[in-house]
Amino acid sequence: MAVRNNNPATFQEYTDLVDEQSKHLCTLRGLMKLKVAEEPIPIEEVEPAKEIVKRFTTGAMSFGSISKEAHETLAIAMNRIGGMSNTGEGGEDENRFKRDADGDLRRSAVKQVASGRFGVTANYLVNADELQIKMAQGAKPGEGGQLPGHKVDEIIAKLRYSIPGVGLISPPPHHDIYSIEDLAQLIFDLKNVNPKARIAVKLVAEAGVGTVAAGVSKAHADVVLISGDNGGTGASPLSSIKHAGLPWELGLAETQQVLLLNDLRSRIKVQTDGKLQTGRDVTIAALLGAEEFGFATMPLITMGCIMMRKCHLNTCAVGIATQDPVLRARFTGQPEHVINFFFFIAEQVRQNMAKLGFRTVDEMVGRVDKIDAAVADSHWKAKGIDLSSILFSPTLPSHVKRRKTQAQDHGLDQALDHALIAQAKPALESKQPVTGSFAIRNVHRTVGAMLGGEIARRYGTAGLPDGTIHFRFQGSAGQSFGAFVPKGVTLELEGDANDYVGKGLSGGRIIVYPPKTSSFLPEESILVGNVVLYGATGGEAFLSGIAGERFAVRNSGATAVVEGVGDHGCEYMTNGVVVVLGGTGRNFAAGMSGGRAYVYDDRGDFSTRRCNRAGVDLEPLVSDEDLELVRGLMQRHIDLTGSPQAAWILEHWDATQARFIKVFPHEHKRVLGVARAEAVYISPTNGSQLVATGQVQHG
Amino acid sequence: MGKVTGFLEIGREQPTRRKVDERLKDWQEIYVPFPEEKQKAQGARCMDCGVPFCHTGCPVNNLIPDWNDLVYSGRWENAIRRLHATNNFPEFTGRICPAPCEAACVLGINQDPVSIKLIERSVVERAWDEGWIHPEPPEEKTGQRVAVVGSGPAGLAAAQQLRRAGHSVTVYEKNDRIGGLLRYGIPNFKLEKHVVDRRLEQMRAEGVTFVTNAHVGVNVPVESLTDEYDAVLLAGGSEKPRDLPIPGREFKGIHFAMEFLPQQNKRCEGDTIDPALAILAEGKRVVILGGGDTGADCLGTSLRQKAKSVHQFEIMPKPPETRAASTPWPMWPMQLRTESSHEEGGIRDWGINSVSFSGDEQGRVKQLHAVRVGPPPAFTPVAGSEFTIETELVLLAMGFLGPVRSGMIEQLGLKLDNRGNVATNADYMTSVEGVFAAGDMRRGQSLVVWAISEGRKAAEAMNHYLFSKKEALPVSRRVLV
Repeated sequence: MAVRNNNPATFQEYTDLVDEQSKHLCTLRGLMKLKVAEEPIPIEEVEPAKEIVKRFTTGAMSFGSISKEAHETLAIAMNRIGGMSNTGEGGEDENRFKRDADGDLRRSAVKQVASGRFGVTANYLVNADELQIKMAQGAKPGEGGQLPGHKVDEIIAKLRYSIPGVGLISPPPHHDIYSIEDLAQLIFDLKNVNPKARIAVKLVAEAGVGTVAAGVSKAHADVVLISGDNGGTGASPLSSIKHAGLPWELGLAETQQVLLLNDLRSRIKVQTDGKLQTGRDVTIAALLGAEEFGFATMPLITMGCIMMRKCHLNTCAVGIATQDPVLRARFTGQPEHVINFFFFIAEQVRQNMAKLGFRTVDEMVGRVDKIDAAVADSHWKAKGIDLSSILFSPTLPSHVKRRKTQAQDHGLDQALDHALIAQAKPALESKQPVTGSFAIRNVHRTVGAMLGGEIARRYGTAGLPDGTIHFRFQGSAGQSFGAFVPKGVTLELEGDANDYVGKGLSGGRIIVYPPKTSSFLPEESILVGNVVLYGATGGEAFLSGIAGERFAVRNSGATAVVEGVGDHGCEYMTNGVVVVLGGTGRNFAAGMSGGRAYVYDDRGDFSTRRCNRAGVDLEPLVSDEDLELVRGLMQRHIDLTGSPQAAWILEHWDATQARFIKVFPHEHKRVLGVARAEAVYISPTNGSQLVATGQVQHG
Repeated sequence: MGKVTGFLEIGREQPTRRKVDERLKDWQEIYVPFPEEKQKAQGARCMDCGVPFCHTGCPVNNLIPDWNDLVYSGRWENAIRRLHATNNFPEFTGRICPAPCEAACVLGINQDPVSIKLIERSVVERAWDEGWIHPEPPEEKTGQRVAVVGSGPAGLAAAQQLRRAGHSVTVYEKNDRIGGLLRYGIPNFKLEKHVVDRRLEQMRAEGVTFVTNAHVGVNVPVESLTDEYDAVLLAGGSEKPRDLPIPGREFKGIHFAMEFLPQQNKRCEGDTIDPALAILAEGKRVVILGGGDTGADCLGTSLRQKAKSVHQFEIMPKPPETRAASTPWPMWPMQLRTESSHEEGGIRDWGINSVSFSGDEQGRVKQLHAVRVGPPPAFTPVAGSEFTIETELVLLAMGFLGPVRSGMIEQLGLKLDNRGNVATNADYMTSVEGVFAAGDMRRGQSLVVWAISEGRKAAEAMNHYLFSKKEALPVSRRVLV
């Protein structure tokens, strides 16, 4: 009511109630008292609210989990006040990237890169002011986030590069982040694609988050977000909502202290969120070390959310957490209401600042000395609580700053892409075809990403005409070769590569083959590393050799030909075509819900021992469509890489055809209306016959 | 929850009422039975909200989504158990409650709310029909004795709760029959009295003792209660009506609603009213002053008594047709309400102030002189809008100011609050130890559902009090648990 009627008095009533409740619930901030200055500062001297609101962001709520109307209202509101809204993990419609006729901008300033990599294309990344890597999160449905199939309509499927009606699961970890070095690599990848954007990492409050945050700062992230245990979606299981996580006060305090003690604080911005509701909450967050503040529950409530907790059922009666057009028509939120809320909060912060004696928020950051550690004796359970470790302020030399004062050195000036971009100038400016030849070493990381960003910025998702830029490389490529490369770019590598080849491939083409002078058999040798094509949304990869683990994990539309893969191939794939001309490791197709894979099962054990058959049917390669597809891809593979294996298979097609197994996910079949297979196809290497489902042990 | 998409597929439906010309011929309830399939469909509309605003909208905090779902699944016996967990008398509220729960229903934000009241009534009536409602006498008695003054919904709810807790309970009622306003006040066409009797039978079987024609402070000394009982609950209602001291008030034929309505209740019970005292609307032009529920009750009653005409005047301006902006969801809306009586006839009007009455030579009222007025607080008369209306019966239904002070309240020397109601602490205890108050006597005029809530909460407080006193009892009167 306060924001709809623009009534600060009503808002004050509300925040008084919340702050009071905070005491009763014994939140950590409810136990704290602010130490007011002896001489308060006149309120006119405190920095204006319109500057303070620039520090506010809205939380990551994907379009998909919430409606278009709700998502865009948030973006418009935050863009008007100079704050930031967040895409969440859902991609974004590119027609939001340009201003509307009425002057409003619906583009989300923060674009999240989460474990599902839904909709993360080069174009998505370059249209952002901040790229947020979600390492951890609040309570979520599913394993790491889940959008049930009935909420995935045509539009959402399109933006996420998936199929309507197919449920979307975000894996718990990022499959390209298994160490802090991997995280540093992803930060570097994203910075290459969009050098102007801040790179943020979202962590949650937990014991040890300080150490992680220190690593994040060393890994050259520009922002670290410490997320608390409150708020979060109503779609999560109640057990997670109530019992997962720790308060942001703990995580933030630990982060601030660890960063200070290691002199890493001045290089990074610290942000916090977790159901911040009042100006007092923000004040305490700032005093504990935060420079920016996230809100998600509250902006939704200003748009009409009444916390029905039916978000996962697609029946949100007020049109916020639903895709049902009947219900979306009932949405009554307005950007003005959201803006009112943030200005109310800012004014309350100003009141507190005046009382505390601060003119700017910058002065306030990390000033824990302004919090009274004597716990209010409000409750008998509070007697044993000692807040001193939260309020600890290390003694430090004066050059160590309590907030961000300098930029990270991302090391971009050493990128090979500068040479690529220079060479590609005619293509970038006037779409003229260019070629080039470069030596490459493993210190050249993320080759192609910066070039890709340049193309995306100019030409959007359409990119350049196929093959406009064709660059050849000789040597061993570093991590993330060909990451986020868009349409129009072909990168041809003679040599080998490391992990993350084609990460986020956005329409380009990658060709890798061993040196022509090498004497080993490509189909028996490892050519590229792990997690190749992670989150690829389109494009092609022709790899004449064996890839490591998690090949094409979260593939959303790329086509690939490879001659062998390690474990977990095609995991969580939602679209695209993968042809494997050799053996796979175990657990192939785990969580695969869309697209197709064709495996040349020369060892004869794919169906029984290698494939995770829980979500897929295994069929022979017989239809004309499939045959044309697979043969065509193999031919192109031969043309582009000279693959001996592919040549041999095509030469002996009469015998080899039967050894192909088509991997077809159930969900995709359901959506296409294709009947499920009655039997599991096992390729006849030793003359074994078709075996009916149920008689075979799961491999 | 019932059906996930129930609220999208099924619209709100209410039972129809008997045709007006038919129902004006008798005093029976106006409702037509509602088929079970439809009851279940209405239950399916509930969305089982994560934050159920209906719980807090309802003064007795009924567990509404629970029994909505149980009804949808046809689990009627579970439903009545869930309903009885919070409400002693769902058959009363299911008929006459204005349903603040429905005003708070989340569906009501942009659609028609769930038909909660209808479902409540369906559950309890089904339970009575199937014989699932049994007396629940206590297994162990505490040996402590409680007196309840007033047998309206607050007194009855407290009595049932305290009895079930094991105490010996005696209810003192000044009238000749039990029920308070449920019996004498609410017309039969809204609440038939066998419904009340049915519940009283259960309470008697549980061991509650009722004493009628016992007016505490008048023919029953208040000390006989405070001396003999371990705790006393005063639930005597808020009976002092607002008067209209304008010129001509003394004319005959001008009566308080509560002089008029109980007479008709008695006639329906079969009593004969002394003709000298009878107030009847037959053949008269009736004017009802007061636009609330009591006024509506007077209207329905007058029409059934074959009044010649009925007007109902209210001093406040006409409320808006839809929820006023000043009372947004989930608050109880300021909104025009059309009761069943209004469907039956009569003419309503708003913004009218009564100025004076004229009478005939026999001292009987003949005319009401009134004027149209502007909105509160000024109620400025609109120039030139004075008018006169012929009337032979004026019924004053302008609200109740507080409990009657003479008698037990004065005798006990109870402190009153600044609105004239009996003051209590947070535990419903008055300024006299061991004497409690609940219902309208404590809150001022209110709803039956609030009375039930008050009765239950006071009973709980009294139970704690009695338990704390148990240790102080002489050994002979302690019950060893």
